[in-house]
Amino acid sequence: MISWLIYRLSRLVIATWAIASVAFMLSRLSTQQPEQVAFSRSDSIGPRGSAAVLLAGEHAMRHRLGLDVPLFYVSRRPGPPVRWQWNGTHNQYHFWLRQLLHGQFGLSYYDGQPIGPRIGAALRYTVPLMLLALLLAVSLALLLAQYMAAGTGLLRRAVLLGLLGLQALPLFALALGLLLLLANPELFNILPANDLSSEQASFGNLVAYLLLPLPSLVLSSLPELTLPLVATLRHELTQPYATAARAKGLSVRQVLRRHALPNAVLPLVVQLAGLLPNLAAGAVVVEVLFALPGMGRLMAGAAYTQDFPVLLAGVLLVAAARLLALLAADVVHYRLDPRLRAALA
Amino acid sequence: MRRSFPTRRRFAGWVAAAWLLGLVAVGLAAPLLPLPYSPATPDLANLTIAPGQYAAHYLGTDPLGRDVLAQLVFGTRQLLFLSLPAAAVAVAAAALLGGAAGYWGDRGLRLPWLLSLGLGVAAWVWLQPPLLAGLAGAAAGVAVAYLHRWRLPVPLDSLVLGLATLLGALPRLVLVLAFAAGPPLAGGWLLALLALLAWPDMARLVRTQTRQVRAQPYVEAARAAGLPEWRVWWRHTLPAACRPLWTYAPLALAGLIGLESTLAFLGIGVAPDTASWGQLLSQFRQAPDAWWLLLLPGGLLVSTMLALQVFARSQRK
Repeated sequence: MISWLIYRLSRLVIATWAIASVAFMLSRLSTQQPEQVAFSRSDSIGPRGSAAVLLAGEHAMRHRLGLDVPLFYVSRRPGPPVRWQWNGTHNQYHFWLRQLLHGQFGLSYYDGQPIGPRIGAALRYTVPLMLLALLLAVSLALLLAQYMAAGTGLLRRAVLLGLLGLQALPLFALALGLLLLLANPELFNILPANDLSSEQASFGNLVAYLLLPLPSLVLSSLPELTLPLVATLRHELTQPYATAARAKGLSVRQVLRRHALPNAVLPLVVQLAGLLPNLAAGAVVVEVLFALPGMGRLMAGAAYTQDFPVLLAGVLLVAAARLLALLAADVVHYRLDPRLRAALA
Repeated sequence: MRRSFPTRRRFAGWVAAAWLLGLVAVGLAAPLLPLPYSPATPDLANLTIAPGQYAAHYLGTDPLGRDVLAQLVFGTRQLLFLSLPAAAVAVAAAALLGGAAGYWGDRGLRLPWLLSLGLGVAAWVWLQPPLLAGLAGAAAGVAVAYLHRWRLPVPLDSLVLGLATLLGALPRLVLVLAFAAGPPLAGGWLLALLALLAWPDMARLVRTQTRQVRAQPYVEAARAAGLPEWRVWWRHTLPAACRPLWTYAPLALAGLIGLESTLAFLGIGVAPDTASWGQLLSQFRQAPDAWWLLLLPGGLLVSTMLALQVFARSQRK
């Protein structure tokens, strides 16, 4: 078990490193040069100078953002005599990796401030939102699937149709619909829908503001969790052990809860690993829509302004969350399934 | 009741197909339709008009005074010329890559020695490495080739699966955010990006299916009859392996439509004056009591996605 865990963890670290490196290289390959992005923002503020002054400013900006050193350990200069150059550790990639290992994400292109504190503040909104959504979605899916697998009736068919409809709805349309229903001055104006960052963010306030984003996230992830679980539960009910349990005198619900659910829950565990990053993507939509100052809005804003260090940090966090979730799913799977335990021991 | 179930499903499939065909027809004929307004020109005298309130704006206007009906009609073109081709490209890529990876695996496809030599020479000419590094690389290449008896295997399976895993490690929306940051992409690039994000799932499906089909007796018979490998792959394996794609492709298209409208809603990667349903939906945030900005494009979006799902289900045997 321990060696297997170490093996999995080392693969996770390598995969995260690969994803981060690819994202880093892509971000530096972008069509518009980053220092131009930063500079076009700063030169509108200061006094306009001659071309030489502008050039000097651009050089200073490149130096401050660390863009005046070569990109990678080896660089190749094209031209009739192709020149290869060994840059040693004095390159952007090495610096970036080193500061990442020290837990720093670098400076924002947009305002030149360190990114770490901004991400920390944003995560304070996003992490509770995502964890709550995860918890609620999973417990609702478990309850709903047991209810739906227990029989066939008009109400159950209506619930099924509702779930299918929800599955067809993109998250942003669902959230907009909730906004129209619940935060509309002409219908029921029971929930707040304006900017959280502008007000005092006390705990009670936070709870009130989470009331609209949370249901959108939960509802949007409910069908993909529930529908497969219902199918598995129905299949388990046809198995001989379920018939035996029924013959012993248990009700359908008891059979479902005590006998079928433990067997049906294994695919759900695997699915959970994919749910967490999907919720992160959902957080982008929901936070932009409801103006929550979280990680998703930070990333969307960074995408508008081409603030690659912030985007890169976000991508890295989501990738790490995804890989950790995969690992956690594996461990839970291992704990739940005795056959796997026997195979790995 | 039980007997009528397949018929009912088939009927639903026909309705869905009719809806989708209607959308295609509207999208193709959009420039010819007698619409009173164009989708991009604002009518500044009539901002946020409800449907029926002003005769010429049949379905009202958005907060910028643009005609909703025209935007809905031209939004169909976005589906037709962006999501649909992207899904087609993704399906083709998935069939070819997944099929090849499943058929040849990691060791099945071997380069003839002449071709590997040519590739090596081309790499040298293109890279022009420093002499020592180049010689070391060439020596390593010769050693590897010798170990494989001068016929280098192409690790197709590992390559395709690795790429799919790398692309699948992040949610699509996050990847799009990272790739499409900054100014709006030109149409072709956005299409390529959408296709790039959609192929991995389908490729995995085709790969698994190919491995099953490959073991069938008729494929073995085809190889025993002396047909060339690529012909066995192309004519005998691939068509059978691609059969599940018929049910999966509409779902992939639905996913892409959802992604495309989410992007238009967020205003990332798409020019803000491009008429699309997602863009129209985003106008609803400016005017939260304009129900027609939510219900009309939202209804179209949902019915299209539902139609695609129903269509996919009716394809299943």
